[in-house]
Amino acid sequence: MINHSIGEFEELVLLMVAALHDEAYGVSIQENLVEKLSKNINISAVHVALKRMEDKGFIKSRFGGITEDRGGRRKKYYVITALGKRILDSQYEVRTKLYNMIPKISFGR
Amino acid sequence: MKATPPARSLQFLRWFCREDYLDEIEGDLVEIFLRRHEQSPAKARRQFLWSVLKHFRPEFIKSIRLKPRYNSTAMIRNNFKTSFRKLARNRNYAFMNIAGLAAGIAVCLIIFIIIHFQTSFDNFHANKDRIYRVLTESHHAESGSVTYAKNVPFPMPGGLKAAFPQLEQVAPVYASHNDALQVIDDNGAQVKNFKEQNGVFYTSPSFFKMFNFPLLAGSYESLNDLNNVLLTKETAETYFGDWKSAMGKTIKIAGYYSMGAGLFQFPATALKVSGILATIPANTDFQLKLVVSYGTDFTGDKEYGFQQPGWNMSAPDFGCYVLLPPGISVDNFNQQLSAYARKVQPADNKDSYRIQPISAVHYDAAAGNYSNKTISHALINVLWLIAAFILLIACVNFINLSTAQAVNRAKEVGVRKVLGSNKSQLQIQFIIETLLIVTGAVILAAGITILALPSVNKLLELSVSFSTLSDPSIILFLLTAIVVVTVIAGFYPSVVLARFNPVNALKSKLTANTVKGISLRRGLVVFQFIIAQALIIGTLVIVQQMNYFMDRPLGFDKEAIVNVPYRPDSTGGTLTDYLKQQLLSKGVQAVSFSSNNPLEDDNNMFTTFRFDHAIKDADFQAITKFADNDYVPTYKLQLVAGRNLRPSGPTTEFLVNESFVKSLGLKKPEDILNKEVSIMGGLIKCPVVGVLKDFNDRSLRQDLAPLLIATNATMYRQASIKLPTANIVSTMQAVKKIWEKAFPNNVYEYRFLDDKIGSFYKQENQLSQLYKIFAAIAIFLSCLGLYGLASFMAVQRIKEVGIRKVLGASSANIVYLFSKEFIILIAIAFVIATPIAWYYMHQWLQDYAYRITISWWVFAAGGLTSIIIALATISFHAIKAAIANPVKSLRTE
Repeated sequence: MINHSIGEFEELVLLMVAALHDEAYGVSIQENLVEKLSKNINISAVHVALKRMEDKGFIKSRFGGITEDRGGRRKKYYVITALGKRILDSQYEVRTKLYNMIPKISFGR
Repeated sequence: MKATPPARSLQFLRWFCREDYLDEIEGDLVEIFLRRHEQSPAKARRQFLWSVLKHFRPEFIKSIRLKPRYNSTAMIRNNFKTSFRKLARNRNYAFMNIAGLAAGIAVCLIIFIIIHFQTSFDNFHANKDRIYRVLTESHHAESGSVTYAKNVPFPMPGGLKAAFPQLEQVAPVYASHNDALQVIDDNGAQVKNFKEQNGVFYTSPSFFKMFNFPLLAGSYESLNDLNNVLLTKETAETYFGDWKSAMGKTIKIAGYYSMGAGLFQFPATALKVSGILATIPANTDFQLKLVVSYGTDFTGDKEYGFQQPGWNMSAPDFGCYVLLPPGISVDNFNQQLSAYARKVQPADNKDSYRIQPISAVHYDAAAGNYSNKTISHALINVLWLIAAFILLIACVNFINLSTAQAVNRAKEVGVRKVLGSNKSQLQIQFIIETLLIVTGAVILAAGITILALPSVNKLLELSVSFSTLSDPSIILFLLTAIVVVTVIAGFYPSVVLARFNPVNALKSKLTANTVKGISLRRGLVVFQFIIAQALIIGTLVIVQQMNYFMDRPLGFDKEAIVNVPYRPDSTGGTLTDYLKQQLLSKGVQAVSFSSNNPLEDDNNMFTTFRFDHAIKDADFQAITKFADNDYVPTYKLQLVAGRNLRPSGPTTEFLVNESFVKSLGLKKPEDILNKEVSIMGGLIKCPVVGVLKDFNDRSLRQDLAPLLIATNATMYRQASIKLPTANIVSTMQAVKKIWEKAFPNNVYEYRFLDDKIGSFYKQENQLSQLYKIFAAIAIFLSCLGLYGLASFMAVQRIKEVGIRKVLGASSANIVYLFSKEFIILIAIAFVIATPIAWYYMHQWLQDYAYRITISWWVFAAGGLTSIIIALATISFHAIKAAIANPVKSLRTE
């Protein structure tokens, strides 16, 4: 069963994966999200979102080399797939369309 | 200094987290930890733990299945195939294993069937939880003991019905014995005679409202009318050929009943067949054959029979059953019952009454029941124990034989391991092999059981059957047996085999020494021989005691004496005189009419009496026999004082035995002569005219009892005929003719006295048969164990034997080498078995007033027998090892 639905947090993570391109792994995604959203995000939430999106085929992963500062553990890098890009595009399109539908009236400025 | 993340949190993460995510998750967590650690170590550690915990979620937790899945069906099929091949190649081994296990399982199965049958008694009645029988509770003032009896006073059933309307049903039940029956045809002529030792019951329709005995024709209510009888299908077929034609036919019944010391009879009564009962199941204590409406003949007699109003009057086998309404407590009812008894009984009758649930009746040996077959809970437990024990020994043998065989399979195990089998796969294979053997053994055991059950039934007087194959419990038992035995017997050998080191196994470096537990196996063999020897010794003691019973002089003549039942008429002495004269004219040596024989087992009538005008009954009871004046010469009883009885119809004189004199505290037998003895509440008062030398008046289990003998023509029930030494057959035919002429309404029967006395020891005979069977099985299983050990040692010592032979040992030396070890084992077993066997057999013999002393040769015989059997068993391996060519065993290294 192919599931093309995407949650709000997942979308943010997916955007970050796309933005960071080849440099996206758990910690970098989390740090950038914390920075951009100015909101505390636990790494486990990022891991769950990444796993789910990988299962859905929005992103794919590869292992990096072993580095000392991670207790000898490899980094897992994520890149966005074509499907993931299409999802982002359609999300963006939907939002823009809706945004444009807002009447051009003043909001009490 | 490099910061390290909290070890325990990390350990937890590694424990639960999936391998393929661990790199990413652990790496990220550590990276964040290290970064934060620079700012605040404590906070970093806290956050690390928190993050680990937040990762503990289904996405990241390892799957429960730890090992990858194999193509298991193909593997199992392969296991079965190789197991079959293995067994087919080692036929001897497979056969021995199957035979040993089958013997063990068969014993278990038979015991299970017996217990299943015994515990199913009267459990098929719909109201079984509410049916109770009334027991008479007697308090014995002198000893302070309380005994329960199944007979109740005659007014009890009617009284209960009136006083306790809440009882749903109340039924009087009387079981009659030795009834003579005649089938009468439509013209009133007599067609056939039958005699029923048991199975004639007198009761009311209430009985059938409590108990479920279905009816094929007629109605239970017909028992409300007098002189109606229900027959079972089988009885109707015996009497009339076909049960359907039996309805409405007439039979005549003439029975006895006993009350106190007297036996009474009623004139023959005609009964109409008013119903046919379906076959009575074997698992009920009511083995009905004829059910007569209560109130017919003596059960309706107000003067001498069962309608007498006195609460002191009862008859053996006169019982009362009640159906309690739901929700009434037994204790509560018992209290009401006692209060009622105190109200209705005369003040001197201190008996009380209790109700006992029907489910307890079959286990109550003290009060007994109508089938005279009871089994104690203790015996059931002992049987379970024996079953478990025998099964365990059989399993141990299996383990013994399989581990001994293990060395031969080292190569196979090695190859399998090299090709990638792991331990559990090998274990599964060996367990499957065991499963095949056990399944074969269970099938064989079922076969043995089917063949053995008829003999078991005959021996133990049971009627169990294997037709209960349709019975789910037996199938369940067999399946359980397969599983349990496979697990017990297969587990250890499979572990031993599976743990072989493949390198050693393939390099043939594996010797029998690798397979440990030789001392354990020796211990088991010793254990088995303890049991076998103890059973051999026990059997010998029992057989000796039986022979002693049969050969011991009893103090009277029992040779060539035949008992023929006799039915007195109202003429007093005329009939006996006529029969006596007829018999003597046919050449018999002597004839005596009496109530019973000098030696009786459970047919003795004890009576209280008053001696020499005492104001109170003597403090012991005496056996009462009624016999004519020819009793003393016929049985060659000896008088030590006074004279024999004079011929008389009514009671006029007493004979006593020496025990009677002694029990009264008199010094000399002469002292008792002409003193008066009064029995039956003063109904009979007569002087003692003679004292008999003591003879065994009870079975040899018990000591002599005080005895009274008196004439009374109405109490005679049998003729004792001393046959001439020659022409026994023709004399017996003459007796038959005389009897058939004198008693046209009765079946002619006879029984030789020595046969009858032999039958008193039926229980001991059964016991000795059982001992023989158990001893044979124990020896068989021990020999299997021994055979396993011997084959094991032959393999283990093959090199040693080779070297010994090369260095000049003879075959005899080698056989001796093997035998020595086993003789030592058996000697150890003997040393342990002897005191155990002595103790138990000594205890057993204490139950007998007349007993043998256990002599030393019994033990010697037991030990010697087991040594001979053991040597015969191991000789195969010992001789094989001794004559083997040493070149063969030494060449392969």
